[in-house]
Amino acid sequence: MSDIGERVRGGEARDVLAVRAVGVSKVYGHGDNAVRALDDVTVGFASGQFTAVMGPSGSGKSTLLHCLAGLDRMTSGQIWIADTELSGLSDRRLTLLRRERVGFVFQAFNLIPTLTAAENVELPLAIAGRRPERAWYDRVIDAVGLRGRLGHRPAQLSGGEQQRVAGARALVSRPTIIFADEPTGNLDSRSSAEMLRFMRRSVDEFGQTIVMVTHDPSAAAFSDRVLFLADGRVVDEMADPTAEKVLDLMKRLGG
Amino acid sequence: MWKLTLKGLLSHKLRLMLTALAIVLGVGFVTGTYVLTDTINKTFDELFTQVTKGVDVAVRTKASFTGQAGEQRAPMPAPLRDRIAGIPGVKAAEGSVSGYAQFVGKDGKPVTTGGAPTFGTSLGTVPEFQAAGTIRAGHRPSGPGEVAVDARTAEREGFRIGDRVTILFQGRPGEFTVGAIIGYGKADNLAGATMAGFDLATAQKVLNRPGVYDEIDVVAAPGISDQALRDRVQAAVGGTYQVLTGEQLAEEYSTLIAQFTKFINYALLAFAFTALFVGSFIIVNTFSIILAQRTRELALLRCLGASRRQLLASVLGEASIVGLLASVVGLGVGVLIAVALNAAFTALGVDLPSTTLEVRPRTILVSLLLGLVVTVAASVLPAVRATRVPPMAALQQHIVTALPHSVRRRALAGGLITVTGVALLLNGLFAGQGDRLLNVSVGALVVFLGIAVLSPLIVRPLARLLGWPFARWAGEPGKLARQNAMRSPRRTASTAAALMIGLALVSFVAIFASSIKASVNSTLDESVSADYILTGPSGGLGFSPEVVKRLAAQPEIESASGLRLGMFKLDGRTQQLAGVDPIAYGRTVRTETTSGDLADMVGGDIAVRENTAEEHGWKVGDTVAMEFPVGGVQRKQIKAIFKDNRLNNAYLLAMTDYTRHYTDQLDFLAFVKAKEGVTAAASRAAVERAVRDFPVVQVKDQAEYKQDQARQVDQILALFYVLLVLAVVIAFIGIVNTLALSVLERIRELGLLRAVGMTRGQLRAMVRWEAVIIAVFGAVLGLAVGVVFGWTLVRALHEQGITEFAVPMGTLFGFLVAAALAGVLAAVFPGRRAARIDILRAITTE
Ligand SMILES: Nc1ncnc2c1ncn2[C@@H]1O[C@H](COP(=O)(O)OP(=O)(O)O)[C@@H](O)[C@H]1O
Ligand SMILES: [Mg+2]
Repeated sequence: MSDIGERVRGGEARDVLAVRAVGVSKVYGHGDNAVRALDDVTVGFASGQFTAVMGPSGSGKSTLLHCLAGLDRMTSGQIWIADTELSGLSDRRLTLLRRERVGFVFQAFNLIPTLTAAENVELPLAIAGRRPERAWYDRVIDAVGLRGRLGHRPAQLSGGEQQRVAGARALVSRPTIIFADEPTGNLDSRSSAEMLRFMRRSVDEFGQTIVMVTHDPSAAAFSDRVLFLADGRVVDEMADPTAEKVLDLMKRLGG
Repeated sequence: MWKLTLKGLLSHKLRLMLTALAIVLGVGFVTGTYVLTDTINKTFDELFTQVTKGVDVAVRTKASFTGQAGEQRAPMPAPLRDRIAGIPGVKAAEGSVSGYAQFVGKDGKPVTTGGAPTFGTSLGTVPEFQAAGTIRAGHRPSGPGEVAVDARTAEREGFRIGDRVTILFQGRPGEFTVGAIIGYGKADNLAGATMAGFDLATAQKVLNRPGVYDEIDVVAAPGISDQALRDRVQAAVGGTYQVLTGEQLAEEYSTLIAQFTKFINYALLAFAFTALFVGSFIIVNTFSIILAQRTRELALLRCLGASRRQLLASVLGEASIVGLLASVVGLGVGVLIAVALNAAFTALGVDLPSTTLEVRPRTILVSLLLGLVVTVAASVLPAVRATRVPPMAALQQHIVTALPHSVRRRALAGGLITVTGVALLLNGLFAGQGDRLLNVSVGALVVFLGIAVLSPLIVRPLARLLGWPFARWAGEPGKLARQNAMRSPRRTASTAAALMIGLALVSFVAIFASSIKASVNSTLDESVSADYILTGPSGGLGFSPEVVKRLAAQPEIESASGLRLGMFKLDGRTQQLAGVDPIAYGRTVRTETTSGDLADMVGGDIAVRENTAEEHGWKVGDTVAMEFPVGGVQRKQIKAIFKDNRLNNAYLLAMTDYTRHYTDQLDFLAFVKAKEGVTAAASRAAVERAVRDFPVVQVKDQAEYKQDQARQVDQILALFYVLLVLAVVIAFIGIVNTLALSVLERIRELGLLRAVGMTRGQLRAMVRWEAVIIAVFGAVLGLAVGVVFGWTLVRALHEQGITEFAVPMGTLFGFLVAAALAGVLAAVFPGRRAARIDILRAITTE
């Protein structure tokens, strides 16, 4: 693991790293109640790579994602999204950064219920007052397989469809990176597989960078690299994972 | 279950506080109204007891007329006093007179009041009667040159003992020396009236009561009760006269005041109830939203075995506590409102002697009960709806909060209610059976309810339309705002309904006022050929007939005609007539006759309006039995029948007859026409010259008169606006409340928007535009209803002279803009809350 750490710290790989974090810690609360959710995490995410983040519940996966995405402020350390360093940015600058550089897929409640699927997809662009690039938009919609459902509202879509709409929304603004926090956590296995295939395709065909939190070894198997977290630290990582390898490592770490 | 109720309350403190505010204001206004009127009544009771202190028995003629112009009594011949003085048991008897007398201030302008009388009276010489008014300085006036002034007028005008003052009367004005300053116990004056006191002979002369008395007051000899003496005097003087004990007299005065305060009471209560009615919409809304948010909790309780009835009781218990607490606070606020209203009355010139505020048990009871009942009644519907939740809802992922309501059922119910309301309204306005005002008010109320039921049906199309500019130009926040306004039609509709009621009433009075103005203008244009119109002091008092005499003598003036008003009885019903000089009147006011001629009235008798004559089947030459205050029943011949010119009363009486049948001879209006060829400046100068000695008379040409009328209408309009502001403020609170609750409810959505890049400013804008759409939606409905109400009332009052229907477009547009601005303002607090949400909390909370 130190291997990546060295590279990130040195900054030599700035061009290939879409997002990097150096010495990031996050402490919730004060004094006796203080919880160290992230403890000196240094990590980088290469452009066009699909990374899965795994770890036991409470290990800091979501916290890491939120800090990386500029949704939460770290206690110490530094995070770069492309060339922008996050600490010290105003709320407004952070918001604009999210709008332009970051895509999100949450576990649930990803869509605005009053908007149609198409409107939800275009939301970040609409907020910025921009219109989607037609050709790119069409490619994304086709990739996500939603052509026929564009006029529907979230309530009329299945859980899997909703997650894929969220995926399309994340993709359509061509962000530097997409963060997905347990995007398949509420889905049945078929919908899960569809969602994961879509994410894989986004990386392979469009060169998208994706970081995904998951509990599921078979979901992790879709990624290029798996990071393992425990007690707020990165404890291990694995390249080219398969479900069996991941399960093995989890057993070892857990034991 | 009670513990749960309390917990529920405490967890929604802020939201309930806003709801409670609506009740607090409504109840406060009710309390304030009662406290104010009770205090006024009590003050006057004390005052009148003081004023009638020494009087054991009072004699006067029976009132032949009680109408809008007050009572009219014939005076009593002077020898009656001597007869009464001779009755055994009478220690002393003294006659008194009173009538119009108005001081002229040191600035040369007549001293006016805020509607209270300016009167002159004789001051008694019998020691017992002197207890009524206490002489604070100087001595009892005696002789033709002395006057006593009430303490308040003396203070305000700077009149001191020995000063020379001018006083205006029905006849010529006079100059007097101030001999005394008089108070009434603790009070400086009688309810804001100005008083000029004279000795009896002087009073009889200047007040136009030669050789007669208005009242004879009696002091009982020791050993005889007031009642016994009253009966004895009554037996002696006979049935023409009314004999009262001093106590009865005080009571009668009090009753008169009570009638006036009752009117204030009803008028203010009407606004208070409007406010509560508007408030009830907010309660319905708040409880609906809060309960919808608690659906899962309620369902869980059902799973755990709570019965529907228990849930209902818990929810209604919550409402009761809120209602009661709000009412208690409202009670306190009401006392403050009473103080404020009292100050407002003082500012209007109605001086009330200071007493402690009168808070009666009835006031407390009514206020608490009203607040409680309105709150609980308004929460019944949401409570029933919420407790219908199936236990299964607790286990479901997504909760369908709004059950799909049958559009047709809503349309049917709303339509039916609206039609019922309209029927009541029309019945009240046009059929004229039963209590018309009650019919109209209840009708309006029911119409509002009906429209409130119907309005959710048009939220989507109308909000889409109204929101179009925002969606078009305000970017994504505007688009989302439009969607948000449309997403829960019932919520949007009932929030807007509160504003609709306020704006409907406001625009209704605006339309009505401008219709009155337009009608006055067209009446003047069509019916008045006079160049100048002369009016008396405000308050409807007339001025001396001497004015018209002097006008007629000016060489530049062709004719001058005075108009006097009087009551008479026809078949037992009191009617109003106008006394006019037929020749001069005919030259200044266009009156078209269908038969006979106004000039035929020169020798006396009457002219009747066409429709009135038709009603009775009268023709020229017929005689009508009219009962007058002086002279009793007289047969009067119809000399002419005239077409309605919207200015003339139904009956015109020849001036020669008027002077014989009425005690007071005051012109209410005078019309003046200049000779042809005389310049406006010259004729104006002539008129001003003629009225120089009568500063109460105001000279206006037609344009000025129109302006003056418009100003009076505008003043009343302003009063209505002020009183309706309360309802609008409550509606405003409703918008704040709904938005704040919606923000809480949509917190995850807001978090998501923030996460994907919406700035705080954009979020605030989104809430703001939603508020504006809701407010404008309510305003549009309100204006529509207001226009319809206004049109209906104007139609109904066509006979009363409101012939024009005028819609003040600019004003109504102003209301619309104001509503939009109110929306912007209402969104400030909820918008700030929306912008401040913690993104992570919002997206991670389940
Ligand atoms: N807002 C917060 N306040 C206090 N502690 C928190 C907060 N959010 C997360 N934590 C704590 O931080 C640790 C990491 O949480 P999280 O990142 O959500 O873990 P994971 O997503 O891996 O389950 C946990 O111990 C959690 O209890
Ligand atoms: Mg998590």
